[in-house]
Amino acid sequence: MSPQHGSQPIQHQFNPYSDNGGTLLGIAGEDFAILASDTRQSVDYSINTRLSHKIKVISPPVTKEMKLESTDIVGTKNSVLFGTNGFSADGDALTKAFEENWKWYVHDQNSNVETGFEFLNENNEEKESFMSMQSAARNVQHLLYGKRFFPYYVHTILAGLDEEGKGCVYSFDPVGSYEREQCRVGGAGASLIMPFLDNQVNFKNQYIPGTNSTERRKIEYLSLDECLKLVKDAFTSVTERHITVGDGLEIFIIDKNGVRSEYHALKKD
Amino acid sequence: MFLTRSEYDRGVSTFSPEGRLFQVEYSSEAIKLGSTAIGIATSEGIVLGVEKRITSTLLVPESIEKIMEIDSHIGCAMSGLTADARSMVEHARVSAVSHNLYFDEPMAIESLTQSVCDLALRFGEGASGEEERLMSRPFGVALLIGGFDKLKGYQLYHAEPSGTFYQFKAKAIGSGSEGAQSELQNIYRNDLTLIEAEKIVLKILKQVMEEKLDSTNAQLCTITKESGYKVFNEEETKKIVDIIYEEDEEEKKRQEQEEQDEEDEDEDEDEDEDMN
Repeated sequence: MSPQHGSQPIQHQFNPYSDNGGTLLGIAGEDFAILASDTRQSVDYSINTRLSHKIKVISPPVTKEMKLESTDIVGTKNSVLFGTNGFSADGDALTKAFEENWKWYVHDQNSNVETGFEFLNENNEEKESFMSMQSAARNVQHLLYGKRFFPYYVHTILAGLDEEGKGCVYSFDPVGSYEREQCRVGGAGASLIMPFLDNQVNFKNQYIPGTNSTERRKIEYLSLDECLKLVKDAFTSVTERHITVGDGLEIFIIDKNGVRSEYHALKKD
Repeated sequence: MFLTRSEYDRGVSTFSPEGRLFQVEYSSEAIKLGSTAIGIATSEGIVLGVEKRITSTLLVPESIEKIMEIDSHIGCAMSGLTADARSMVEHARVSAVSHNLYFDEPMAIESLTQSVCDLALRFGEGASGEEERLMSRPFGVALLIGGFDKLKGYQLYHAEPSGTFYQFKAKAIGSGSEGAQSELQNIYRNDLTLIEAEKIVLKILKQVMEEKLDSTNAQLCTITKESGYKVFNEEETKKIVDIIYEEDEEEKKRQEQEEQDEEDEDEDEDEDEDMN
């Protein structure tokens, strides 16, 4: 029976979520990490803004000395690059919640109190007690799982340096399942870019020529320039093929000198 | 003095006109009645030691538990009303475990001590009457909390019932604390080894204890980066106790020998004099 006007009640339902499109991408190198996203925020076929920020640099204060060394520094090497993609209001809320936890953590560790003791930690150095990436990741898991039955509708990616100074990327599903990875893409362009990165970063399906597809190409760290090239290629390509991706590309790079950011225009169509 | 005290020493949330909280001060007195506990921080680890007061020959010494594990990298020794320490230790354990759950790392020793002290200060809560009271009085127990963390290395803290805490290189609490503390001050060096510290703790306990030190009425534990919290069993304690008594014996002999020598010398001198 075909639905007929008046034959059944019209249901009105409030949908608390919307899809704001966009793509988020993280790659970890040997001594650096990259977190990049497009800057378009859209709903259905409308663009809300061409310059939204999906990535927040959560950083200890940047000192004057660091600014003198290079003027474009936006964070220290202890920063957490915090990226969310999906429903942007939830993403912003999650970012704020994490930022607060991050600040409280620093206070709780009493980092500014001098130790005043002859023997400190293993290298006898005064460490600063900023949240490690490992701790940040675990904390984000609890933030996400804490809303297990009304989730933050986001794909979250964290990038930073681990305690050994190696680049690291942590990716999360909306309810807090997480994993440390070499690279990850989230959001609208995930299905388009992820296979590309599997091949180009983790050398999946690459075999050594002449071995008749029996010997895999050995995994090695990519250089920063190679990674940046991949990121730009990935975003220009996905801009062509996905309607919610475009306008601009914001890239954050973290290494031992701190955090830098780059902006590149993407097609606005 | 006592006249003013009797007015202001009942409520835990009322200052005396001189600005003192008598109930909190009295709680410190409770600790001075407790058995002695000693802690030493070295560059190789933390040593905690306590005296066990065995009040009856029928008492099973193992049932006295005054050194407790808080987490695999933190231990604590107590003096005072040890029953009060149970709830503090439980609070500390919960803090340590939930920190590990929320941050995937062992809790820092200072943070842990802070969280215990937060609990210690809650005796004042509910004094205004509207909410449920959790505590009727301050804790009557002091803790020595020692451990290792990656931030500040080996640390030893003394947590008081007043809710304050201080970091120490070596600290004694309890009835014998005065003598023990001055002894620690004389003996402490920054380059003490763990083995030396273990011996020092037992030696000082031996000096300040009323009963004769043996392997059952004292207990030791160490916290190291490598093996974490480790409590000594009777056999391990006995080894150190035996060494201490052997050394005492040797020292005694040496002194006797010296006295003998001196006497001999005196005699010699006498003889010399005689000759003159």
